[in-house]
Amino acid sequence: MEGTALAVCEILRYLIIHWKCETAGLPKGALLEGELVISTEALNSEHQANALHCVTTIASAGSHCDGFVLKNFLKEIQSILPGLSAKLMWTLEETSSSPNTSGVSPFQMIFEVDEKPRTLMTDCLAIKNFLHKITMVHPKIRFHFSVKVNGTLSEEIFGAENEPILNQPNGIALVVNYQRYVSRPKFGVTELLCGRIHPVPGQPVTLSIPDDVAAVGLLGELILTPAAALCPCPKAFSNQMNRISSVSVFLYGPSGLPLILPSREQPTTVFADISCFIDWKKYHLCVVPNLDSNLDRDWVLPDVSYRVESCDGDQSQIIDPQGHTLLLFLFVDFHSGFPVQQMELWGVYALLTTHLNAILLESHRVVQDSVRIAVDQALEQHHQVAKAHQKLQASHAVAVNSIMSVVVGSTNSTFRKMCLQAFQAADTREFGTKLHKAFNEITQHRFLHCLGGVKQLPPEKHDVAQNTEDACESCSPEHLPGEVFALRVSPGLSWGGVQVKTVTSAFHCPTAFFHSSVPLGFSGFLVPLWAFWDSSRHPSQKLL
Amino acid sequence: MAFAPMGPEASFFKVLDQHRAFLLADLRRVGEETPRGGTRPYFSTEVLAAIENIIQDIIASLARNEAPAFTIDNRSSWENIKFEDSVGLQMVSQCTTRKIKSDSPKSVQNFALILKILSMVYKLVQSNTYATKRDIYYTDIQLFGNQTVVDNIINDISCMLKVPRRSLHILSTSKGLIAGNLSYIEEDGTRVNCTGCSTVSTTDALTGCIKYLITDAKFLLIVEKDATFQRLLDDNFCSKISPCIMVTGKGVPDLNTRLLVKKLWDLFHIPVFTLVDADPHGIEIMCIYKYGSLSMSFEAHNLTVPAIRWLGLLPSDIKRLNIPKNTLIPLTKRDQMKLDSILKRPYITCQPFWRKEMEVMADSKMKAEIQALTFISSDYLSKVYLPNKLKFGGWI
Repeated sequence: MEGTALAVCEILRYLIIHWKCETAGLPKGALLEGELVISTEALNSEHQANALHCVTTIASAGSHCDGFVLKNFLKEIQSILPGLSAKLMWTLEETSSSPNTSGVSPFQMIFEVDEKPRTLMTDCLAIKNFLHKITMVHPKIRFHFSVKVNGTLSEEIFGAENEPILNQPNGIALVVNYQRYVSRPKFGVTELLCGRIHPVPGQPVTLSIPDDVAAVGLLGELILTPAAALCPCPKAFSNQMNRISSVSVFLYGPSGLPLILPSREQPTTVFADISCFIDWKKYHLCVVPNLDSNLDRDWVLPDVSYRVESCDGDQSQIIDPQGHTLLLFLFVDFHSGFPVQQMELWGVYALLTTHLNAILLESHRVVQDSVRIAVDQALEQHHQVAKAHQKLQASHAVAVNSIMSVVVGSTNSTFRKMCLQAFQAADTREFGTKLHKAFNEITQHRFLHCLGGVKQLPPEKHDVAQNTEDACESCSPEHLPGEVFALRVSPGLSWGGVQVKTVTSAFHCPTAFFHSSVPLGFSGFLVPLWAFWDSSRHPSQKLL
Repeated sequence: MAFAPMGPEASFFKVLDQHRAFLLADLRRVGEETPRGGTRPYFSTEVLAAIENIIQDIIASLARNEAPAFTIDNRSSWENIKFEDSVGLQMVSQCTTRKIKSDSPKSVQNFALILKILSMVYKLVQSNTYATKRDIYYTDIQLFGNQTVVDNIINDISCMLKVPRRSLHILSTSKGLIAGNLSYIEEDGTRVNCTGCSTVSTTDALTGCIKYLITDAKFLLIVEKDATFQRLLDDNFCSKISPCIMVTGKGVPDLNTRLLVKKLWDLFHIPVFTLVDADPHGIEIMCIYKYGSLSMSFEAHNLTVPAIRWLGLLPSDIKRLNIPKNTLIPLTKRDQMKLDSILKRPYITCQPFWRKEMEVMADSKMKAEIQALTFISSDYLSKVYLPNKLKFGGWI
């Protein structure tokens, strides 16, 4: 990754660390709140052929910004982005006094870069994935991300305010809406009866920092806290699926920020062979790295991904991709809280990323034990659910056969007739089929009852304006999948000759945040930037 | 009965006859009209209809998309038991129940097994054939798991349908034995005589195949252990104290043995005595014959004989007869717990003499087997102890 994406991610990291430092006095587990706007405007470059001149603005409202710190940050970021042949500017809107005074004041950071259209597209997808990963653990931070290419606008809002979250023992929140982690169309709505994942935390372990890593400045005591979950929830998956087909690993650093920035390369060699931390044979799984790093999808791309293959040696036989995904979250943080200087914390990320391999291997045994405990518990739950399901099925088969035996063998015509009529069956064969189905349905009904029901999610619609009203009627705040609003860029439109596919997610936005406008001859919608300003919202929610 | 060997002279049975008269007077006073020959037989059609009703309810539940469930009385809970002196332990009319659900992994297996056995009972009754509990278990060992599961479900079904187990056409293999002044005719006309040294299994009593029971026994002696039973047979006890009948359930009695004892009482109203070890286990076995068991309380009317008296071995006999102390056994912790449990049971309150004997045992912290009497002399039991007890009314 280079250029726009790297710069945006580093800047976002810095800002969030800054917010975190500002809220250091809040109790552990308090959620970080804020809003950021990231907008990129790209026009055909006047200096380079087949390139776009991209101006990216990152703006934040309601942030305490110290001008002096910001200047130092600019120096630092330019030093770590030497490849970014860009102009980096910042403006601090002065409300009353000099920039050196601290106070609630919005700020903007702007940088420019020339990029190929394909690079820009990749960068946008990478940024999107990065924002996904941030909102997974910071559900109350909202990002407005827009890209305008030669006048055509595409926008997306990232946030998880109304999604179910789990506060973990390490103080980090985790969004547990399953749709974040797997493809939604994979599991039909009628089949899925629990929309959450249920992470199982592992025991936090102290990581030893190798001497050579400490020598380069990574000091302090690091703690690794793993968490494992199966997605979707195995408890309430009504069909017979109980296979694990993939493994996804997510790495987070201090302040709950993604440790790994998107890259075409594998982030760290330690995960090339994850079996050094997890004994897959114990779970009868054969995993191989999944090299599919396609960012263009609705759910988050993990830092490391594996697929499960058949263990009988036939490499061509891949496990049905419809199986569960084992999610493994690894949170790395400092034991004694934040370093005094926030710049140090921001700098730690670079060191952690570079030396993560060495750090984890140095504490290989404790990491392995801790991960194993979490994975064992997550899979044990899966195993128990599968066992319970098998028990139900086997017993229902016995019940059906027994009932059939009585009904078929009865010489009481009134009794037989009443039994057949109850299921509107024409004959005993049809009766048997319906009887079996009835037993299956009561099992599903039980899960629905126990889990408090899951609202039927409205069908995926791309025509947002028509369906916003429908979505509002059928969704409740408890079950809203997330306020991610998407516009689809017309496939007929091109960015510098490259066909642009859908850049947005399939979630529904219940809020009439954007005004629709006159379509410009294609199936997408154009939403002007001024639409961010919605006078009907609370003034504090204005962004610019 | 002319076939009976000559026993002691008539004066020997004077006290016994007086006791019998007392029992008959008591029966008349209570106004009990015990149907002779046993309880009301359930017709096959009734059983089939009861099962069909259950199936229909299940289907109706499923048609409403509701998970069907069985509601089973908690047979083995003291809170569902009341005590009546004339009957023994029996279930209360409004008892607590438990649900066996079809949509819970914890209970679905039980639900299915109940249905399975119901369907098997349906077939047995329809075809007028019989099977033992063991036969049922062996139809699918993997499915049932163990015999106890089958036994419990059969009892639950009997309780749920309010139908005696024998009406479900399910037999239990009997381990009991009977000997003495009793004869009967089997269904095929065969005449069976229990006199002499022969013993007969008590299985046949359950099927209702036996008819025309004939006896002139002066008493029925229930013996706890098979060893004691055999010893008495070897000593020719039935001939020496003829006319009498001896029965053993070889420990905790099975249903057939209890049914037979009940049948003999209902038919002949002869005094029934128990000969058990002077230990809590023996006392509990005696209570089962007399007052019934917790698990079968729903069939108390068919199984209990409240008129039973405790003949021996009484804890007070140990001191009275100077039974050597080295033949006695200390009560274990388990014995103590069982003794405490029996003392708290509702029927002990109307048995002050039994209570006193148990308190003697509790105070001495010792127990004794019947075999301890052999330390006095090898045939003391059959030659001295029992004859004296029977002649002079040494029962409580």
